[in-house]
Amino acid sequence: MATFESAEKFEEVLVGFFKLMGETPAIADKLLASKLIIRFNYSDPDLVVVVDCSGDKIDVRPHDKETKATVEMTMSADIAHRFWFGKVNLTIALTRKEMVAKGPIPKVLKLLPAIKPSYALYPEYLEANGYGEYNILKKK
Amino acid sequence: MLPEFFEFYNPTKVVYQVGIATDLKPELDIIGKTKYFIISDHIIADLGLVDKVEAGLAEAGFEAVGRFLDVAQDARLNDVKKCADLVKASGAEGIISIGGGSVIDTAKAVNIMFSAGGDLVEDYSGAHTLTRPLNPHIVIPTTAGTGSEVTMVAVIYDEDNKEKLVFPDKYLLPNLAVLDPEMTLSLPPKMTAATGMDALTHAMEAYVGIQASPVSDVFAVGAIDLIMKNLVRAVEQGDDIEARGGMLIAATMAGISFTHSMCGVIHGMAHAVGAHFRVPHGVANGIFLPHGMEFNFEFIYEKLARLAPVMGEPAEGVAPEDAARNVIAAVRRLTSRLNELGALPIRLRDVGVPEDSLPLIAESALMDGSSFYNPRPMEDEAELLPFIQNAY
Repeated sequence: MATFESAEKFEEVLVGFFKLMGETPAIADKLLASKLIIRFNYSDPDLVVVVDCSGDKIDVRPHDKETKATVEMTMSADIAHRFWFGKVNLTIALTRKEMVAKGPIPKVLKLLPAIKPSYALYPEYLEANGYGEYNILKKK
Repeated sequence: MLPEFFEFYNPTKVVYQVGIATDLKPELDIIGKTKYFIISDHIIADLGLVDKVEAGLAEAGFEAVGRFLDVAQDARLNDVKKCADLVKASGAEGIISIGGGSVIDTAKAVNIMFSAGGDLVEDYSGAHTLTRPLNPHIVIPTTAGTGSEVTMVAVIYDEDNKEKLVFPDKYLLPNLAVLDPEMTLSLPPKMTAATGMDALTHAMEAYVGIQASPVSDVFAVGAIDLIMKNLVRAVEQGDDIEARGGMLIAATMAGISFTHSMCGVIHGMAHAVGAHFRVPHGVANGIFLPHGMEFNFEFIYEKLARLAPVMGEPAEGVAPEDAARNVIAAVRRLTSRLNELGALPIRLRDVGVPEDSLPLIAESALMDGSSFYNPRPMEDEAELLPFIQNAY
């Protein structure tokens, strides 16, 4: 069974987290340096989110299917959720097709060290914003 | 220690025999197609190797329905597009590539457009974006280095945007790799040395890489063993068919290993000096390999030590640090010997790299996709400068 009961809830949780990342200098500065525009295509539940790092600040745009993205990442919402806990190895996920990446893969791989602090941030964010039920670390 | 996860997938059939490139009927009968388009380059064609393969095909009842020989030193996007149009118009049912890495990578990319249609960059940039098998691709390598005959990657240079595009996809694995040492006999000593060092670097980086597995290790160690026994022989005596065969098999084994466990920062460096100063890939790998092993030493010495017997170094009663240093010393002796033979430069300063460019090389190498898989994690280009200065 999917972790998120609805697209609305998944959007609320994920977009809120992306915005928090965009306001966290340790993460945002490196993302902005990449200048990448990344479109995430999620399934089960379905959601499209663009994270635009091409400007002066990170712009998170749900439902943006129009902007030409540098990189498109396609995955299930559950894989995305586990990824932000640091529980998904990106290269393994690509090999197993749990994630499909279109665009310059080396640039995506280079972002991994930049987003590493987010793995600790995500469970804290869930707890602090009333989404504790989705904290897989707490369940264990 | 076992890896958390690994996958081994190698559907490419590999055949080896002296002269087999002109006797492919049994293998082609199994594939079941009769019309093939040949992709090669003018150097290979001028050596008569394309005619030789075509004659063998005709004798066995297969048809070569077209040729594309304009592959440049780097596999180029515009060539891929031109060639794909020719292949589509030829009525071919499959592709035979005859050449080194550029030819093979060009053929892989052509096969995407030939089989799946669409635009190569718009539709297929990324990782594992193909959704179904491509038309048959038979590879006959004429160098012993690239390993592309058994890898799932094509690297294509986009000359308009001046960037290298990487296409990793399981469906790019060729159907058949034909290892015929006769096809490498005309490779000059310098090319033999450079491509051989490319193969050794593939094997070494795959062996110590963060995605190495017990299965990829078997191929890496086997490749290193064959290279240490055959590379100098093949350089010194180009018509030594056994040494040529050993190198050809080694390059393929190294390819199988690194397509699973990937390369590291040494390849990142080689890509950087190749992009900025046109240093041939194998030469660059030969220059950087011992310095890269030193750079990674603290992270790899225990595993590297296990290579000592393969490198002809003592292992019994030797501390792992010392055994690993002996392995690096053996690599240095190999590159020095190739240098004495006039076949391999061993300093960056000898291949046209200006000293004031070293920070630029460090920056490019750090951004290279290969460096991500390096056993020693790197965050700042300043970490790489001593490594490059040592190689200079």
